Amino acid sequence: MFFLSRQTVGRHRHLYAGSFVALAVGVFLLGLAATATAATIAYRGPSAGSIAVTTLGGDGMGPQRVSVSTSDQDVSGLQTVLSMVGAISGFITIFVIASTFAFAVASRRRELGLLRLIGATPGQIRRMILGEALVVALGASITGAVLAQLATPLLLAKASYTELAPVKLEPASPWVPLSIAVGIGLLVALLGARAAARRAGKVGAIDALREASLEPPRIGPVRVVFGLLFMAGSIVLLTLIKPSSGEAAVPLAMFTPMLLVISLTLLAPLIVPVLGRLWAAPLVAWTSVSGRLARSNVVAAPRRSASLAAPILTISAIAGSMVLSLSFAADSAAATLRDGMLAPIVVTGGDQAKVAATPGVAAVDAGLPVQFVRVSADYAQLEDAEGIDPAVASRTRRMTPVAGDLTALTGNTVAVSKEMSGFEHYRLGDEVPVTFLDRTTAKLKIVAIVPDAFGINPSFLLPLELARAHAPAAKPERMFVLPATGTDPAELVQRIEGAVPAVAWDAEQTAGVRKGNQLGLILLLGPAALYSAIAIANTLLMGSLQRRQEFVTSRLLGATPNQIRRMVLWESSLVGMVALSLGTAITVTVGVLIRHAMTAGVPDVPVTVPWGILLGIAGLCLTLAVGSALAPTAYILRVVGRETMVHQRQ
Amino acid sequence: MTATAPSYPSVVPDAAPALVLDGITKTYRSKAGGVDALRGVTYHFPRGSFTAVMGPSGSGKSTLLQCAAGLDQPTTGVVVLGGVNLHGLSEVALTKLRREEMGFVFQAYNLLPSLTVYDNVALPLRLTGKRPHRNDILGVLEQVGLSDKVKRRPAELSGGQQQRVAIARALITKPSVFFADEPTGALDSNSSRQVLTLLREATDRAGQTVVMVTHDPVAAAYAERVVFLSDGLIAGHLDRGTPGQIAAAMSDLER
Repeated sequence: MFFLSRQTVGRHRHLYAGSFVALAVGVFLLGLAATATAATIAYRGPSAGSIAVTTLGGDGMGPQRVSVSTSDQDVSGLQTVLSMVGAISGFITIFVIASTFAFAVASRRRELGLLRLIGATPGQIRRMILGEALVVALGASITGAVLAQLATPLLLAKASYTELAPVKLEPASPWVPLSIAVGIGLLVALLGARAAARRAGKVGAIDALREASLEPPRIGPVRVVFGLLFMAGSIVLLTLIKPSSGEAAVPLAMFTPMLLVISLTLLAPLIVPVLGRLWAAPLVAWTSVSGRLARSNVVAAPRRSASLAAPILTISAIAGSMVLSLSFAADSAAATLRDGMLAPIVVTGGDQAKVAATPGVAAVDAGLPVQFVRVSADYAQLEDAEGIDPAVASRTRRMTPVAGDLTALTGNTVAVSKEMSGFEHYRLGDEVPVTFLDRTTAKLKIVAIVPDAFGINPSFLLPLELARAHAPAAKPERMFVLPATGTDPAELVQRIEGAVPAVAWDAEQTAGVRKGNQLGLILLLGPAALYSAIAIANTLLMGSLQRRQEFVTSRLLGATPNQIRRMVLWESSLVGMVALSLGTAITVTVGVLIRHAMTAGVPDVPVTVPWGILLGIAGLCLTLAVGSALAPTAYILRVVGRETMVHQRQ
Repeated sequence: MTATAPSYPSVVPDAAPALVLDGITKTYRSKAGGVDALRGVTYHFPRGSFTAVMGPSGSGKSTLLQCAAGLDQPTTGVVVLGGVNLHGLSEVALTKLRREEMGFVFQAYNLLPSLTVYDNVALPLRLTGKRPHRNDILGVLEQVGLSDKVKRRPAELSGGQQQRVAIARALITKPSVFFADEPTGALDSNSSRQVLTLLREATDRAGQTVVMVTHDPVAAAYAERVVFLSDGLIAGHLDRGTPGQIAAAMSDLER
């Protein structure tokens, strides 16, 4: 059947143009992520900066010798972002391909029926559609890979010396990463085309004789079952976004929407008509005929409306929940900072002795930053720790232990944060094997478990002397200063070099968190948004181009071009609104849950809803939807106008 | 529904009719209740015959053709084609039977627009998994008078030429039965004549059976027998009628 696939793709070029572009962009992004990841893997930090340790073993795993890089020239941040970009690209590609191919099959019922009539078995039809997917995918994947290869130096130049990769990155050999990207492209295309191929196999020979190529109104029970399963799965995940999930809540909030989107897309042929009817109510009341027509078109072709709504729903839900989750996470970080800090003054970059000698200063909490490699059963990891004087630190920061006693923090001991203890199942009295950067090993006994305070305390707190012993050159990064009783902090700030009020320091830290989030969002959502824009434009373009016959009939029946344009305008707005309301529902659900999860136990958390970005996403989706439905309509109407004139002259 | 292929043991293969319809009924279900398109049609199409099926619109002639060709399932009754009972055949078995034993020619030309004339004709063979022999394809194309259009695409041909490509495509598998539904419905009289002559030749020269639904008495006159259908029942037949006689019989029926 492959010879047929090759020729039919050529014939239905306009149907597949969208899939081609979408897949090429997808493979481009995947390829870029892959080549950049290869560059980070190929990157070798200064060879001196690593420590070899032996893991403990256990759980059926023997001890292993591992080497841990101690250089802060770490490129894992970039790797993480790149792999997320890859995952999102792949996810959205499957969607676009699936909806494009569903369209291609629906619009070719007669042709497929004819093939069945002259002796093609259902299996052969299925293989033909898959073959078409393969033809499109091959061309698109290779195009995408070539583009990725061309763009790689540019990306690496941009990514070098940033927070994510504070080093110079050089392109590595492209063959392996690009082959992987092309392979994924082909796989994703075939996965996306599978459902369409199966539906094509169900077309009967008798469809060749039927004039109307109307879609069957029912959706299959399998689809409903899967839709409900995904829905159930997402609800389970949503219930996990609760206070006790700690840090896991944010990734959950970012990725559960994807499952919800799958579920809603599967169920869309059931949901879209209902919501469409609701949204159409004001439209029908307001317009004369065009609103009514738009409503019937959206409601009567649920499958078409559903596939038009899918890309809008996808990007609005995913982008919305990410933006909102990260904003709320930053809010909660701000509240934690504010609550964790007792000292009114923070000094950065000053000299400890000089600060302590300033009149009016009661105490200086100058923690020493120190790093060690923590050895676990099956891995070893570089950890940040701080050497503190518990007597002072417990007055400048809120660190009343939830278990244990900070006064015991002397000698080879450690206090761990609540989250870390939960992660590693550490209990009081456990001994944590570590290797300091001066290559001495030690076993640190856990004497206290303290509340989490991101931005103030690292996960491990050591006695000051222990930190100083293993990191003699370390200098405090910031000092928390307590004024003597009767001294006005505002006045004291003036007299200490590099001092700021704690409130200002908090604000600066929070701003830093938001800025970091923003960079991540741009990296994550930028490609996804570009991609969804293509998808939205693509499905609507195809949808409109297919309606040529309908427009001709309407024109002959006496509809003016303006009436048709208005109908298309309302129709695409309606589909857009339906999709956006579903996207909003997901965003709000996730937002409420994450907010609850992050603010439980912390009073007065500020609420920052990034209205500008959220409304921008919605507006962009709607504009794209309406624009890409109207543009082809205008084109068709021009052509049709010429034809009807010829008709009338004859 | 109880009759199966072994119920025709007395039939000697050579003398067996190409197509047997036995008590065919077809009821379409709709919200307003059932609609009886066929109400019990029994007919044997002899091997090598050219039969025209005529009747007013709504008399069930297209339904009859679709049931006979296994495109649609009769509500009750049995269809036996080339000795094979179509009832209970799987979709794949039906497809294989269709591509080996049946040829189709319809009013809409039903060619694949993306393929050349040559590839359109070769398609049924390729679907069977056989390598088409170039000479066979060129042979049938010569038979239908299109030797010079081999490389063209359907859009570059006239309606009559497209219909002849469709006939060539049906001829290539040497089917035992041709099903034609208004094959001349969209053609001018000259093209119609060529198409009907080709169908006539299929029965005369190759002994193939032709079942043609039409409302055109001139076309029906190419058949040796015209079967009249009315309200889902066979109302009568006319052998070797002239177009005038056939038209008269039709208007009697419609009265």
